[in-house]
This record gives sequence, structure tokens and C-alpha cells, in this order.
Amino acid sequence: MLKPFNLLAIIAATMAVSACAGNKPIETLPEVVSQPVAFATTYKPASHTDFVIRNVDVYVGNGAQLDDIDVLVSGGKIARIGTGLDSSAFEIDGSGLWLTPGLIDVHSHMGVYPQPETSNHSDGNEMTSPTTAEVWAEHSVWPQDPAFEKARAGGITTVQVLPGSANLFGGRSITLKNVDSVTVQGMKFPDAPYGLKMACGENPKRVYGSKGQLPSTRMGNVAGYRKAWIDAADYRDTWQKYASDIKAGKDVKPPKRDLKLETLMGVLNGEILIQNHCYRADEMAQMIDIGKEFGYTIRAFHHAVEAYKVAPLLAQEDVCAVMWADWWGFKQEAFDMVRENIALVDFAKGCAVIHSDDPIQTQRLNQEIAKALAAGNKLGLNMDRAHAMRWLTLNAAKVIGLEDKIGSVEAGKNADLVLWDQDPFSSFAKPSKVWIDGVVVHDAAGQNTTADFNLGIINAEEDRP
Amino acid sequence: MKRLVLLATGLLSVHLSAAEVLIDNVMIYDGQKDPYQADMLLRDGVIAEIGQNLTTTGSIIDGRGKTLSAGIFNGNTHLGVVEVGAIKDTVDYRSDNIDYTASLSVAEAINPYSVLIPYNRSLGLTRALVVPENDNHIFAGSAALIQLRDDQMILNPSVGMVVNLGQHGKDVAGGSRATGLAMLRTALDEAKEFAAYKSQIMKGEYRDLSLSYHDLAALQPVLSGDLPLIVKVDRAADILRVVELAQQYKLSLVLMSAREAWRVASELANAKVAVIMDPINNLPMGYDSLGARLDAAAILNQAGVELVFTGMGDDASHNAALVRQSAANAVAHGLPVTAAIKAITSTPARLFNAEKFGGIQIGQPADLVIWDGHPLEAMSIPEHVYVAGKAMSLVSRASRLADRYLQRIRAFQGN
Repeated sequence: MLKPFNLLAIIAATMAVSACAGNKPIETLPEVVSQPVAFATTYKPASHTDFVIRNVDVYVGNGAQLDDIDVLVSGGKIARIGTGLDSSAFEIDGSGLWLTPGLIDVHSHMGVYPQPETSNHSDGNEMTSPTTAEVWAEHSVWPQDPAFEKARAGGITTVQVLPGSANLFGGRSITLKNVDSVTVQGMKFPDAPYGLKMACGENPKRVYGSKGQLPSTRMGNVAGYRKAWIDAADYRDTWQKYASDIKAGKDVKPPKRDLKLETLMGVLNGEILIQNHCYRADEMAQMIDIGKEFGYTIRAFHHAVEAYKVAPLLAQEDVCAVMWADWWGFKQEAFDMVRENIALVDFAKGCAVIHSDDPIQTQRLNQEIAKALAAGNKLGLNMDRAHAMRWLTLNAAKVIGLEDKIGSVEAGKNADLVLWDQDPFSSFAKPSKVWIDGVVVHDAAGQNTTADFNLGIINAEEDRP
Repeated sequence: MKRLVLLATGLLSVHLSAAEVLIDNVMIYDGQKDPYQADMLLRDGVIAEIGQNLTTTGSIIDGRGKTLSAGIFNGNTHLGVVEVGAIKDTVDYRSDNIDYTASLSVAEAINPYSVLIPYNRSLGLTRALVVPENDNHIFAGSAALIQLRDDQMILNPSVGMVVNLGQHGKDVAGGSRATGLAMLRTALDEAKEFAAYKSQIMKGEYRDLSLSYHDLAALQPVLSGDLPLIVKVDRAADILRVVELAQQYKLSLVLMSAREAWRVASELANAKVAVIMDPINNLPMGYDSLGARLDAAAILNQAGVELVFTGMGDDASHNAALVRQSAANAVAHGLPVTAAIKAITSTPARLFNAEKFGGIQIGQPADLVIWDGHPLEAMSIPEHVYVAGKAMSLVSRASRLADRYLQRIRAFQGN
């Protein structure tokens, strides 16, 4: 279940984080109102069998490497890790194979920009207003997108699906388990926080400037962000007053909900994580300052082609940089790409993360971190593979607020696992098996469920390969 | 006996009087045989000897633990004709002018000083096809063959006539793919008429034709079979129609994109039609490519179809060197390593009449890469790149930026 949208809890949390913005802290508030859970997750793992993978080499995901070790999965969780584990569970011989956490792609448009790329399916960006914080990506997700299963075959077990980047505020993201499902509710990651997509730079000013409206400049972008946060702070104050009145025993009606401001208020109280499309170093610094002005923090800059230029700042402010290994040049703000970007951010003690933003690249993010690692080492940064695996696992989990549940092969975590036929830093490596919560969701040697779209579409008897 | 070891590039000038470079004990992937360990001697930029225990009075590159391949080729790029994708001022591969279609020569727009050139060269790319596009016509013009040296970039300004009969071609032809084929047939017929009635046509004593005289003139080498028609097309049924048309007109045909080519692999092998493809594309981007799959290259190769790779993905200009990663993924899905290397080295060289490049043969100009790992592994990085006999710098604008900011981060940490 997603967290109930408890406005009073939000208000209480808001007081804690926004004291610097000049609001008086409120003590505890009575839980008199809470919004119904909207679009609750219906995800439940299929029945799982306990199993133990024997004698496997493990990139743990937290920077460590374990060689020739046993991993026991019980009840959908990683139960124990050790040598010669005493277990009667079903055995998988892992000798010569590699195990990693399930891979996490924190920037995907699968489902909202599905395949085939036709206009009827193009639901990823509500490009009708610079601030569309009221839209939720999950309402556009088409679970039959044939890209999901290809990502699964590449080891992707968790994806954050984001709205597009034409808007200053593009709407809520959704974190999904990459499982076969008829409904998006059946994919929603239980208890995952929502994200709010924001965008810097060229896209918003181009899209709205070309319509003759604000923003048409970067200064217009910033004015647009600030106006929205002023409105959000006001909205929060309205709810705060309501909560105070209730506490004082007054008989008052709750304020009218506003979906746009509700999402922004969720950011101000720390429940919704800012996922900020931002390429240029100088703009990242500006966005951090806007956060300080209004009392919120940014979880991650996405694309972050120039993150290496402000790597110490990002480390100091604890903002993750979500990057490609080498994509560049498609626009001016992506011109200063260096292949060492990810490694340099990490070297500066920042939270470095890989992402795809692309249904082809998401199928092989292991190769992308391999390239980023090789580039960093060529520069003399001297990092090892186990360390680099964090960029695709535990650091990625932090971006979406799930580092306590996924992102590493550690006891107690969800059994989201990928068993590789060889070292995943090789371009020739492929997942043999992929598990989510201890359930096999891809088996290279077996029959895998294919999307409805694929059935009988090559010819009546033949599915899309 | 190896007498000298090259310690620093500063020594290069001292020892170059010998004009010899010995690459000592390197694993050679020649795209023909299984990889083998050997020494290679370069003399005046030419591969002089390949063998065991070679000696030199010149410089030595220690090849132990390294590999060597021919320079990498990408079969569909916009190198030299785009700087920043979203800045139209810098984009010259795309025309919307219907008065210059088949006669457009993209070579005339190429900027040899583009920052994309040193960047991609530093990652092992030495040669590429530069392919034009036209927003409003099925004919885009002739594709150019380049090598990644600013002093002699264009090897051949016209190695193929590019026609788009894919989704884009269907749209510009008026919405039906049948119209696209009709436009192609009409153009070829009129090109024949142009040859037969040139003087009347040039004097204006002939009926109006669908293409201008210079476009019809540009199609003459296509009609004679000297210039391949490079057709962008994906759907299997469309591919067969294009093959049939090429046979009717006795054209030399090369397919591009061709995401469903695997479904008609034996027909393509029989017709000896080569395919320029990105093996990484396995999603149905449109209804023309429902059959896209990761083992398409393996299936085509098995059937005997000649392959040239492009990619990776949509970024085959700024990241044209990533064609190597596309090739590696074809290997991961069934294509033999040797076949993958051929598709990014010798096959395109032969197909586009640049046979002195693309292979590892004595007497050829050194056009090769020495890698710090397997030549197809994404982690491997070039340590030396030779283009047409010349050792190239591996510095790029990107490497300059990385060096600058590493220093700044180190300085910050020192404080």
C-alpha cells in the first residue's frame, strides 16, 4: 500500500523542515483528517519458493564484493548470506556466475512513451502549461508497453517513470516494479515515495516561449518556479490554519483540495522527492538556492551532463546526480559532456547514479556503468567494479527513496536479484535469471510472459520476438 | 631485439627518423581469422610486416595485454554535418529543398573541424558514411565516405544514393508506401529518358519531368549499377518489393535500417543485398518494425547476408564510435566475434570501394586501433589510433574538460 496521504502528518512534517522559512513550529497535531489512498497499489508477489544460490560471486551494490558465497532467499527477502549456508531450500548452482541486486532505472518513460511510438500512445508530457504539478505519470502508463519485458530481460527490476521535461513542473513520477501486470496499480512499488518532475533550461523556455508565454528565458523559468513555491507555501499555510483550528476544537470545514498545490506541498513537507531535469552546472546551483529559499531539498538532478563541474557542491548539498555514461550534443546544454562525469561526481564524494531515459539503453545499464568506470579509471581515478555497481543499485535506490528496501544484496532487503552468465561489466554478459521479491520474472532459458501487444502480431501464430 | 621503448611522446620526434613503429606482442583481431598474437611493424605509416620476433630501430609500443583491430567504421552517421543537434545553424545533413534531391552532395557541407571528429576518433572510429536526409522527398542525395582526419577527410564524396522508403518516405510521398515506390520507379524511368533525350530536355523541348535535370543526371551512375542505391526501409514486405525493383532495373542495392530484414534473410542472401543496420534495435519503434529483435544480425549473418553496422541507438553522430557497443551486443546475441568485427571494419570498406582500409594486411596504410582490452568490450579504450597511416592525437574537447575539472576537484579536496 502506498502511504495514506495524511495531510496533518504532512503539516507536522512541514513545520520541521520549513522553520528556516520563518514559520512557527507547531507541536503535535491530532490526526483528524486524512485523504483516502488514491490509486492504491495492488501489487502482490506471486507465490515464492525459498531458494539458495550457491558459490556465486556477488557485486553487493553497496561497494562491496563477495566471492564464492551463498545467498539464501526466503519469503521474498534476502535471508542470509554466507559460506556453506545450512539450508534445505531449492538450490541454484551459481559457480562461475555473478549476482547483483535487481537493477534500478531512475529515469524511464516506459509506459508513458511506449512502443510503437505512435501519437495515440504518446502520453508522457502534458505540454499545455508550464506548471502541471497536478498530473501523475501513473495515469498515463500503458502496462502493455513491450519495452517493459525487454528491460526486465536486461535486469531492470525497478523503474521510476517520469513525466516529460517540457514543463517547469511536469507532474508526479511513479516508481514501479517491473512486473507483468494488466493495471498500473499492479506494478506500483508499495510505500515508495512519489517524485515531482521539474525541468531546468532549454526545454521549458523553448516549448512555452514558442507559444508566446512565460517562460521564454531561463530567468522566466526561475520566476515560474518561485511563483509556484509561493503559491504552495500559501496553500500549506491554509491547511496549517485548518489543522490549528481543529486542534483548538473549532468546527471548521477543510479547505478545498488543489491537486497542483497538494503535490508541491508534498515537496515542502519532505514526502515527495524532487527529480530535477537539469543539464548545466550553473543552473544546478540556482536550483539548489531556490530550494533553500523555500525550504525544500532536491533529491536528484537528472541528465546532469555538467554535474562534474559542481561535483563538490552536489556532494556538500547531498543532491544525487543522475547521468548518462556518454550521451551528448543533441542540444547546447548537453555539449560539455565528459565520459568521466559519473566517476568524477563519485570521486568528489557525491551520489553518482546512472540512468537511461531510453527504452533501448535501459536494457543494458550494466554496460553503461562499465563505460563510465573505464573512463574514470583512464583518468586515474582508480575505482573498482564493485564500487561502480553502486551507481546502478544502491545510489539509484537513494534517488527514489527506497535504499532501505532495495539496491543491495543484504539480509533483510527485498530479493530483487539478477544472476548473470558472466561478469556484468562485460558487454557479452546477459542475465540468466531475474527475480523480484524472490519471484522469477525473467528466465533466459525458459518461457517468459510477453505483453498482450506482442501476441500474434508477426503472424497469427507467431509473437513479436 | 627491441632496442628502444617509447617512453613519452616527447621522444617521438627523436626516433621517428627511422619511420618505424613496432607493435610488440599484440593480440590481433583482423576480422578474418581467430585472434592471434603477433608483432606488427609499421614503416612510413604502412603495415610492413606481421610476424614473430620482429625488430626495429624505431619506436616500440608494448602490445602485451593489448589488442589490435582495424579502425572502426560506422555505416550511418552525420559526422561533420552536425555540431549541436537542436541548433539548426549547425545542422547540414537535413534539407527540405525538393529542387535538389538526388543531386545533393552532403560532402559539400562537411566540416572537418567539427568537435565530433577528434572525440569519436579518440574512441577508435576512423571511418564513416555520412548520410543526408531530406524532409520532403524520398531522395536525400549521395552519401559520402569519410575518414576521421581533418587534413584529408573526404575519401569519396559519393558512395551511394540515399532513398528513404521507410515511415518517413511514406509520409513525404503522400501517405501511402505505394506512392513512395511509384516515385522511385518514375525517377528511374525519367533518368533513363534523360540519358536518351538529354539535348531536348536541356533545351526545354520535352514534357515536364518529376525531377530537375541535375537530379536526373545524378541518377545515371545508379542506373548503370556503378553507384549503389541505399534504401532506408524496415518492413519485410517492403524490403522484398525494393529487392524486386532493384532486380528489374539492374541496380546495385544496399538496405539501411532494415529492422525486419531477418524475416527475408535468405532472399537477401540470394540477391546479394548488403544491409546497414544497428543490431541494438529490438523494439517496435513503429508498425514497420514490429519484428525488430536482438539476434537479427546473427540470423542475417547465418543466412550469408553481408552486414555493416551503425548505432548505437539514435545517437550515431556524436557517439558514432559506439557502433562498437552495438556490435558487441550482436555478439552477445549469437553473432560470431569475427563477423561482428567485419561488420565494423572490412565489409563497409569493401562495399564502398575503400579496400585498402578496413583490414589488417601487409602493404596497407595503418588504419588501426590498439585497445587496452577486447576490441568489442565497452570498457576497452584506445591507446593508439592510426588513420590512413598517421598516428593521431587522442585529445578531444571532452578530454580537455575532464582534465580541467579533475584538477579543480583535486584542488578543492586539497583545501
